[in-house]
Amino acid sequence: MSAEIAEVQLQVRFITKQEQYAVPDSPYAIQSNVQSSDLNTLINALLKETNPSIEKTVEFDFLTCGELLCTSLAEHLQDKGVSTEDTLEIEYLERFPAPAPQDCLMHDDWVSTVHAHSNWILSGCYDNSIHIWSTKGQHKLAIPGHTSPVKAVSWVSFNGDQAVFASGSHDQSAMLWVWNVTRNSVDCVVTCRGHEKGVECLAVSADGNRFATGSWDNNVCLWSTSLSDEDNVPAKKRSKPELGNTREPLTILKGHREAVSGVQWMDFNTVLSSGWDHLLKLWDCELGGLKQEVAGNKAFFDVDWSPLNNSMITASADRHIRLYDPRSTDSIVKTTFTSHTGWVQSVRWSKTRDTLFLSAGYDGQVKLWETRSPRTPLYDLSGHEDKVLCCDWSNPALLVSGSSDNTLRIFKAKHYEST
Amino acid sequence: MPPFRSGLLKRKSSNKESNSSDSEKVPDQSDEGSGDEELIQGALNGEDDATDSEHEEESGAASDQEQDAVLFDDSADSTFGDDEQVDNDSEGSSDLTDSEEESGDENDGSSETDEESVDSGAESGAVQTPSGVSDASDTEKKDTKQKPRKTRQAKPKSETTEASIDRLADTIGKASVKTQPVEKKDEYESGDTSDEEDRRTTVGDVPMWWYNEYPHVGYDLDARQVLRPPQRDHIDDFLKKCEDPDFWRTVRDPNTGQDVVLSKQDLELIRRLREGHVPDPTHDEYQPWVEWFSREVLATPLRAFPEHKRSFLPSRSEQQQIGRIVHALKMGWTKTRKQLAEERRKKREKQFYNLWGSSEADPAQRGLQRHIPAPRRALPGHAESYNPPPEYLLDKQEMKEWDKLSETPWKRKYTFLPTRHSSLRAVPAYERYTRERFLRCLDLYLAPRAIKMRLTITADDLVPKLPSPRDLQPFPTTEVLQFKGHTELVRSVDFDPTGQYIVSGGDDGTVRVWECSSGRCLRTLRAGAGAGAGVARVGWAPSAALALVAAAAGRALLLLAPGAPAVAARLAERTDRLLEAAPPQHDVTVDERTSSCAQWQHVAPEQWAQGVRISIQHFKPITHLAWHARGDYVCVTLAEAASRAVVVHQLSRRRSQLPFSRNKGLVQCALFHPTRPQLFVATQRVVRVYDLVKQELVRKLLTGAQWISNMAVHPGGDNLLVSSYDRKCIWFDLELSSKPYQTLRLHGGAVRSVAFHRRYPLFASAGDDDKIVVSHGMVYNDLLQNPLLVPLKQLRAGGRRSELCVLDLRWHPAQAWLLAACADHTLRLYA
Repeated sequence: MSAEIAEVQLQVRFITKQEQYAVPDSPYAIQSNVQSSDLNTLINALLKETNPSIEKTVEFDFLTCGELLCTSLAEHLQDKGVSTEDTLEIEYLERFPAPAPQDCLMHDDWVSTVHAHSNWILSGCYDNSIHIWSTKGQHKLAIPGHTSPVKAVSWVSFNGDQAVFASGSHDQSAMLWVWNVTRNSVDCVVTCRGHEKGVECLAVSADGNRFATGSWDNNVCLWSTSLSDEDNVPAKKRSKPELGNTREPLTILKGHREAVSGVQWMDFNTVLSSGWDHLLKLWDCELGGLKQEVAGNKAFFDVDWSPLNNSMITASADRHIRLYDPRSTDSIVKTTFTSHTGWVQSVRWSKTRDTLFLSAGYDGQVKLWETRSPRTPLYDLSGHEDKVLCCDWSNPALLVSGSSDNTLRIFKAKHYEST
Repeated sequence: MPPFRSGLLKRKSSNKESNSSDSEKVPDQSDEGSGDEELIQGALNGEDDATDSEHEEESGAASDQEQDAVLFDDSADSTFGDDEQVDNDSEGSSDLTDSEEESGDENDGSSETDEESVDSGAESGAVQTPSGVSDASDTEKKDTKQKPRKTRQAKPKSETTEASIDRLADTIGKASVKTQPVEKKDEYESGDTSDEEDRRTTVGDVPMWWYNEYPHVGYDLDARQVLRPPQRDHIDDFLKKCEDPDFWRTVRDPNTGQDVVLSKQDLELIRRLREGHVPDPTHDEYQPWVEWFSREVLATPLRAFPEHKRSFLPSRSEQQQIGRIVHALKMGWTKTRKQLAEERRKKREKQFYNLWGSSEADPAQRGLQRHIPAPRRALPGHAESYNPPPEYLLDKQEMKEWDKLSETPWKRKYTFLPTRHSSLRAVPAYERYTRERFLRCLDLYLAPRAIKMRLTITADDLVPKLPSPRDLQPFPTTEVLQFKGHTELVRSVDFDPTGQYIVSGGDDGTVRVWECSSGRCLRTLRAGAGAGAGVARVGWAPSAALALVAAAAGRALLLLAPGAPAVAARLAERTDRLLEAAPPQHDVTVDERTSSCAQWQHVAPEQWAQGVRISIQHFKPITHLAWHARGDYVCVTLAEAASRAVVVHQLSRRRSQLPFSRNKGLVQCALFHPTRPQLFVATQRVVRVYDLVKQELVRKLLTGAQWISNMAVHPGGDNLLVSSYDRKCIWFDLELSSKPYQTLRLHGGAVRSVAFHRRYPLFASAGDDDKIVVSHGMVYNDLLQNPLLVPLKQLRAGGRRSELCVLDLRWHPAQAWLLAACADHTLRLYA
């Protein structure tokens, strides 16, 4: 059949949204069995003719029918059921450069959570400790504060030398820490107690004033990140010396029937949470009530929200990653990304590109996805030898993942000048 | 008398005159007819006559007619006047006919009458049809007769103008006398049917002024122009007024443009209309009043009033009655006399049995319904030919064989010897023909044929209709996680009530606590270390208020705290506080039998630090343990303990009980009912259900298995699943019967464990073959509907070690995940 397809000539027209790589808008006749690489050479040749200022060859990705071209063009069109008779519009865009492995940070135990910032990487471990690393791979600090495995960490703010971060653990508490960068000393400022069971996930709002935690007691709690004691904390509680500086939640959002596995801020007022009860819930923080509910059919393990494209990706108890649009009233999944062979445990959007996201699965793979390519990820970031438990792409240049092989692997996103 | 009657009478009275009028009319028409022919002739002859004749016809039609009528009337009235007679003579044939008819004289001879009759017939034809269509047979006669007639007629017509003037003068002279005949004539005209008038009013229903510019006014029936009567100027009018005494009653007919002299009757009619009387002068306005209906009741009322309409119509009720009878006849409910008579006659006749008739009702059907055709004989082959091809002929070797088999002829290749004949004639008679025919007949006769009823059942029909597994999702389909950490085979697993953690115990003597979602071993408790034995069973306390794991390590039942990482600290503290101090035991008297069986031991501080909260030593090794749903009782099964095999421990009071005093058999396991105070005790072949409150046997379930290995109670409590070492899973519907509802043989080896899901209608079974079978087990609340069991999926259970594969199964309390304790030192999670 492929031989039969190979004979077909296709009329194509190349378009792009990146003006510096524009080629003449005239249709070209090409063989239908070309691969993406062939198209790449063609575009580069065209670019050389039209735009001599570009010296080096640029790698391009090609979009046809709203999907990234991964197979040969003929197969792609056959999948999509598009006629080969018409003139086909192929959009091309500069390919996201392959991330290069940069570092492997060894831990003492399974790395359960990780959060990167511009210069520092925070990781939580199953040995109850939190670690601070520099992006260069230098171990700054190991913080034994929790009494149970740390399940969630997040940077809150950087203020000169003072960096604030939050951590949540299975010991039912979340902690706010202050790290003095220069002195490399850390201090647990506030212990947030309010969950009945272990804290599973944690997210800091965009303005850094509040953070939300999801727990095994089926609740989502909102906390203030202010380091000083608020006035609303009762005096008697403050007076308890043995508890240290404890804090109670601003709001408790009750509604999940099973454990809350993921929590994210959508805007200042909206918190998105995913649960093992197969539900995604959108909460209104001011009112403390439910705004919207999206039902899936598997337990959700993680959720992430991208303000760039207003959609959420979820990892659930199967090997698929699902893309939901909360604006659509029905819970129909918009796209399903399938390439992992085990449970996907963590998904994270790119902070700069609205079509890219990262996923980590129990098959030991971290995958970089393009939303328009649901069957093939852009890149497999392999290297982990066991289940990957977490991933992070908060620093656009670093793709960080933590695994049960006690390592934290850092991939460097190469220089990329789309913005 | 009503007017129509009088009209009728008038008609009758005028009948006498009708002869005359008819006769008068006939010549008129014959005149016209002749005119007709004249016109044709005129066309032949020339112009001179045509105008003349036309004019004559027009003027004559009015004046002549009038005059004719006048004359005739005169003649009718008075005796034939001489002058009229002359006129009659001058009229010629027309008059002749007149006289003829009137007098019926025979003088003119039969020929004349004949001709006349024919003529009149022709005339009548001419009245109805255009004159052109006369019979061909008549034409000859006519020709002969008409010629002289025309010659006769020609003369009077030439004279008509003068004659009409004379006649006019005469009429004026006789004005007073003529009034009456004129009236008569008018009466005739009015009395006659209107089609007489129609003949003249040929213009149709159009206004007359349409003809103002034409010399004619419309057309007659023969499509000839009806010429306008001569117009009169005022002088003519004046003269006429002076001369004509009838001028005052002469009006012009707008349709024909002709002058009409109103008759006396017309005038009378007009007068009556003007005065407002009934137009009919004979109408009696003052008839005597007959009182048909009076208010007085009469002895013999007058009933001469007209009958009511319904008396002329058929009666409705009679119609219905008749309808009913007809219907009854149709339906055979009643019979006509004729039918009754027929029946009676038949009854009187003698009935004979038709000896020679067929025994069955329809002989054509006999044998056709169940006709079994005789088996067909095979068609003859080439070998049977009188001149078979040479290859069919037996050669020497075959002949030798043929001869050799003479003792056993049925083993021969053929039943006959193929032989060659030069021609069909040379074929000798077949010596066995008669015998074979006879045998064939015997075969057919002695071996009765019967229809073999064959059921066509395909294998698919035997398989019960089950829903597709795709519709019964969710259920586990793949292995997702392996929990590695045990160093020996894992004997038992259990989930914590929320499904976050897993506890497992194995032959390595450790109890491990795992995180379910990540496969992380959170804690390892050395439970069997002290006892020096592996952990046979573990069970997480089902109560959410208690963080406690029961582990059966050898002879000891250890209640362990799963530890800080695995449970909420507050919960752990609460549990610890509960278990720290033993409740006062002084009110309890423990008999020697129980105390020798189970001893609650004090937990040493170092053991406490290791997580052991309570330790109960038994006199025999523990094989099975089960928590009560509320978490206060633990039921322990001891191996080879005879009557003391089942021990129930109560945690809150730290007390042990031996529920059974007699040995019922080798107890395999014991379970609490999830809701009712009942205990299921499985011995080797039987499951007994005891009521713990009443202390009695509720029922005995006969499993039919050789050796029960394990059992599980449906969370609803009405269904029990029993696994056995002889590869069976036995489902009991406790409400249905004490016999198995279904026995599932899904495994190739001993089934060691079965488990029900708490929420989903799922159950799983696993054993020594490396398969875990996940099945759909829907239990309906409806009592009429039996449970629906559908095997869904075979999961590969990896790691087979020395005949053992899967030792225990547990379902996640909330998700459709299945956990298996495998012999290859791992726990496997399927989702």
